[in-house]
Amino acid sequence: MRISICSKKAGLDSLVDERFGRSENFTIIDLDTDIVETIENTAKNDPSGAGGEAVRLLSKYKVDVAVVPHLGPKAEKAMEAFEIKTISQGDYKIVGEILEAYKAGKLKEIVKIKGLTRL
Amino acid sequence: MKIAVLSGKGGTGKTTVTSNFAVNIKNSISIDSDVEEPNLHIFMDMKKPAFKPVYTLYPSIDENLCNLCGRCGEFCNYHAIIPAKNQVIVFSESCHDCGGCKLVCPNGAITYKKREIGQIFSGRSKYDTELHYGLLNIGEMSGVKIIDQLKQSTDSDENIIFIDSPPGTSCATVAAVEDADYAVIVSEPTPFGVSDMKMVVEMLRQMKIPFGLIINKAGLGDEEIYHYCRDENIEILGEIPFDKRIAELYAHGKIFSISLPEYKNLFTDIYKNIIEERRSL
Repeated sequence: MRISICSKKAGLDSLVDERFGRSENFTIIDLDTDIVETIENTAKNDPSGAGGEAVRLLSKYKVDVAVVPHLGPKAEKAMEAFEIKTISQGDYKIVGEILEAYKAGKLKEIVKIKGLTRL
Repeated sequence: MKIAVLSGKGGTGKTTVTSNFAVNIKNSISIDSDVEEPNLHIFMDMKKPAFKPVYTLYPSIDENLCNLCGRCGEFCNYHAIIPAKNQVIVFSESCHDCGGCKLVCPNGAITYKKREIGQIFSGRSKYDTELHYGLLNIGEMSGVKIIDQLKQSTDSDENIIFIDSPPGTSCATVAAVEDADYAVIVSEPTPFGVSDMKMVVEMLRQMKIPFGLIINKAGLGDEEIYHYCRDENIEILGEIPFDKRIAELYAHGKIFSISLPEYKNLFTDIYKNIIEERRSL
């Protein structure tokens, strides 16, 4: 089970990024082994379609669950196609806090209503 | 001869200049290539234009032939096509219709579908001049295709064609000016005007298109634009003074040189300057 969190810098002490497709980095935690790695979001400066490309990147790193601030329509469609579950990061500010909140079952799944993403 | 009218910054007077050229220069044709926000036809009082749709193509995948090899997704710079787990997703509005994904697909799984992105309107104005403009549908990313087709709708060599270009130095601006014989930059003499104009100057120099400058709202702002033009050896073709009556006429959708006879010769003089500039090249 691998979970990704949008993060400004590397590691669990980093601030979270408030954008998904243009997030600076993704911190990926393997819940089975507790190994934490941070990957650079190579899609962040792309002129268009950064959301969809970022999802492809997460899929390459075998992410099962993505914790996200908000998703654009393209990223949303891509998450479905890559079969990655999306969860709202809520008002948490630190990557480590999000991880703890996720483990405690405090984070909400993103609910889709008529094509719009509601957190 | 094609003369493009452009500016770095929006709202500096491209449409004012183009419409005044259109009514003062005989046998001229005007094109509004600012397809996101065309407004020349309002000033020209266009009567009953004929319109034709503009299409673009986007990829469609035959799932029976596709083996999700991923080459199309690697090729596409705009991430319009992304191979996922069990399917290939296509974002048709991001597609620039380059045809590359079909070329790189080893299995022949990609064909193209047609989609309307906007329209081209053609007709005659109240002043009996020929006029064309394009309109990009809301939500579309690129109007370049409409601009290219817009310019093809008038391919006569005998006429003088004025192209009202989109502001800035985007792909759309490049598409509008790329085959122009001469470019007229419209700028206001303010720090913002000069700063944005510099980008246009750089673009035109790279594209090797000769150009001159019309200063609009002259008297406003400061002297920086004059110093810049002297240092850079840029010809000032003419100046439109900062005149409240011009602004009022603009707000009413009127062409000011028709209502204010003292400006009658301004645009024919500027045009003469352009012809002379062209000759001296």
